[in-house]
Amino acid sequence: MKIFKALGSGCHRSLKVWKGILIFWFISLSLVSLVAFPMKGIMKTGFGQSAITGKLLNGIDVEVLSDLGAVYKSLTHSFSAGLLLLLLLWLLINAFLTGGLFNSLKSNDEKFSAGEFFRASARYFLPFMVITLIISAILILLALILIVIPMGGVASPDNPNESVPWLILIISVSLYILISQVFVLVADYARAWQVKNEKPACFRALGFGFSRSFRRFLSSFPMMLIIWLVQTMFVLLVLKVIGNWKPASGFGVFGLFLLSQVLLYIRFLLKAWRYGSVTSLKELNDPLPSSEATVNI
Amino acid sequence: MRKLFFILAFLLSVSGGVNSQVINKVPLSPRITGYTIDAKLDPATKCVTGKMEAFWVNQTTETVPDIQLHLYMNAFRSNKSTFYKEFGGSPGKDSAAIGWVEIKSFTGKNGIDLLPYMKFIHPDDKNLSDSTVVKVTLPVAAKPGDTVTVKINFVTKLPSQIRRNGYRDDFFFVAQWFPKFGVYEPAGMRQRNIGGWNCHQFHAHSEFYADHSVYDVKITVPKEYVIGTGGMLLNESDADGKTKVQTWRAEDIVDFAWTAWPGYAVFTDQWKQVKITLLIPKTRLEQVERQFTAVKNALEYLDKNVGPYPWPHLTFVDPPAFASGAGGMEYTTLFTSESFYKVPGTIHLPEMVTVHEFGHAYFMGILASNEFEEPWMDEGINSFWEERIMDHYWGENSGMIDLPFLKVSDKSLSRLTYARSGSRQVITNNEYSWNYPHNTYDMMSYEKTATWLYTMMGIIGEDATNEVFREYYKRWAFKHPSGKDFVNVVNDVVKRIYGDKFGPDMNWFFDQTLYGTGVCDYKVESFRSSLQGSKIKNDSTVKSLMVTDSSKMAIVRLDRLGDIMLPVDVLVHFKDGEEIHESWDGKSRFKDYTYYGEKQIQWVKIDPDYKIRMDVDFINNSLTIDPDRVPLRRFSDKLISFMQFLTSIVTL
Repeated sequence: MKIFKALGSGCHRSLKVWKGILIFWFISLSLVSLVAFPMKGIMKTGFGQSAITGKLLNGIDVEVLSDLGAVYKSLTHSFSAGLLLLLLLWLLINAFLTGGLFNSLKSNDEKFSAGEFFRASARYFLPFMVITLIISAILILLALILIVIPMGGVASPDNPNESVPWLILIISVSLYILISQVFVLVADYARAWQVKNEKPACFRALGFGFSRSFRRFLSSFPMMLIIWLVQTMFVLLVLKVIGNWKPASGFGVFGLFLLSQVLLYIRFLLKAWRYGSVTSLKELNDPLPSSEATVNI
Repeated sequence: MRKLFFILAFLLSVSGGVNSQVINKVPLSPRITGYTIDAKLDPATKCVTGKMEAFWVNQTTETVPDIQLHLYMNAFRSNKSTFYKEFGGSPGKDSAAIGWVEIKSFTGKNGIDLLPYMKFIHPDDKNLSDSTVVKVTLPVAAKPGDTVTVKINFVTKLPSQIRRNGYRDDFFFVAQWFPKFGVYEPAGMRQRNIGGWNCHQFHAHSEFYADHSVYDVKITVPKEYVIGTGGMLLNESDADGKTKVQTWRAEDIVDFAWTAWPGYAVFTDQWKQVKITLLIPKTRLEQVERQFTAVKNALEYLDKNVGPYPWPHLTFVDPPAFASGAGGMEYTTLFTSESFYKVPGTIHLPEMVTVHEFGHAYFMGILASNEFEEPWMDEGINSFWEERIMDHYWGENSGMIDLPFLKVSDKSLSRLTYARSGSRQVITNNEYSWNYPHNTYDMMSYEKTATWLYTMMGIIGEDATNEVFREYYKRWAFKHPSGKDFVNVVNDVVKRIYGDKFGPDMNWFFDQTLYGTGVCDYKVESFRSSLQGSKIKNDSTVKSLMVTDSSKMAIVRLDRLGDIMLPVDVLVHFKDGEEIHESWDGKSRFKDYTYYGEKQIQWVKIDPDYKIRMDVDFINNSLTIDPDRVPLRRFSDKLISFMQFLTSIVTL
């Protein structure tokens, strides 16, 4: 019952901060455009005034792309370097903006204020960055232990049983998804605690996150699984829609752009729903014994 | 089935062995060589012990003083062999890893010991450490019509899997395992001036060459092993409770290989008169149907467009992952494919390997070209047909990959591999397989050949191309065609269909593509409208097709950037929708077309149907005043969305 109450409250809170999510979306679009537009420029230069671009109307044509020759190489270099830069930048910006978002989500009825959003973003940047780095490191380590190492052990072509690597992969990935949700929960609890306690204390926040995640495991974890399931289904839907739609007119392409950005906005909304639900669940569980309200680590 | 075995065994016993007919009613080949082998596999020592009786018939008009045989397995004996010198690396010091064949006894007619007459020769590189070819001087030279019969007892130690040969644990693929005659080529055959043996050493980049033969092979293995061969099973018996003996018969094939592994599941299917057997790991049964579909598609296509598959049997093997090194090899009526557990149906790799390796039953098996000397004739021609089959049955644009966001045709991969290779001009396409420098063997033999064959098809048309191959089959089935013989077939067929449309012959095409190192690259340099008598200087033929009473004219300028000169179509599209087709012989370095009148050109395309697939850059083949930017914008939009979603997903 508590789970659904928290999910409902999270939904309400996330919708309430739609302007904050708009900021998220806008910064994301601007940042990605910085990488994508030069790539578009490179392609434009590569194709020049050729009429061959018509061959690309049905989708990627490896022959046409490979005929770009040196331009194709610079395109792939731009993509890999740009993506890496983007991930690093987004790591920082995400840590910054989530501070504001969590702060806006902590109350069910306060009105959203852009000024307060950015103030909170600045205030909590460092602790949120530390929380993000530590939990991300744990998740990478977890992937290494649960997926890379077991797969490395069994994926050898010398393994006479061909089905075993697949079985191990399915089990490993499933385990990773399940366990990683616990650490995502820890990060969310820690950030919710941090914005409630205002004074930057990232390690205390993490301590609270771990403590609350495990003490309230039976209510918190299923909620995270529900959210994960909804988000995953949404991403699959997006892949299906965006991946398969190949508009052949300028109007259609504009429609594709609008649709993809609306879907991305919904994606950010779903993320905020998770933040709001965890914040709400924390509050629902908060009239706790005094020893649990603040944690000594 | 058992009844059939008895009938076949009976037929064999009453009809006199290798000289008789068991599988087909009449011999398909001249039966120059034949082998009867009693082989026993010892899985513990990884050795095959063999007793062989073989014959070579001198069907030439020349007296032949010697015989030459391949001992291929000695390529894996040490790092001093020609194979390892070219391949690099070493078989190591582990005696279990190396491979060799030892002749224990060698006798000729009337039991005469031929061992003293035997010596290793090194016709290709004078490498004294190589022992892959042996020459035996006959005590009495073989006169025309004579049959040289030899009896050889040998032991073959199989190597740890290398070059799709050898063993991995209890898996065995036994190929190139017995002493095998070279091909005696009399003067005139394959444009030879003087007759002689064609018996090359085993090279890192080479395959094989042999006469079509009859094989009667008795194989003894432990009882639990499942055997697959390129022959028909005639008989199976229990030897001593622990081992079994199978007797196999193969006719008119150029090699006899076999595999044995306890883990195979055996499936059979039928296509017309051909019984198809598939050996596949028991864990990979989901691939069975697609493998049969692939081989039946290939049978149907080649049967229709080239010639009949003449054997009533065909066996193919999908080796287990731990022995995947055996995958992708051909022995006419036996070949190995390559799939993986759970390989998705949208990736047509298993089908591609199956279609390709089966295709070798034609291009090398039936049309037994010399793979050592002219590898393009088997790998290249076969790749061309593989690509046609893949794109025909699995989608013109998705023959290789058929994902919603990425479709790749099989022929695209060939062209881009050739076109993007930095070494595409270092050597001609007509080289001995071991002479290709800078790792160009694969690109030249497979991809370049397939690309120029597509280009030839673009020029002479699909029907004429099919007719070329039907004629090639008709003239050269169960013989040894050379590259020149193939070219002659093309010349004859094109002449028959088109007269002199392409000149007295097609040699101009082959001189540039097969025997040349140039590249093909045509470019639309520019087009523009201008006033008559303005500054444009026009040195080439000016073609006036439009009304001439206008003061305006449109000029199209085309360039030939590459050395290869091929006839190309040119399509000029005007703003009012009118189109003019031009045919340019492609010989001059540039070509201008001038059109008088008010009409303005919208776009120009050289080779608008992309038929000249040797052109290394399709992008510069066209020019337009308003390029379609929609695909680029769409690409950019999707890229932005992808990056946004990715960053959103991987951050907390």
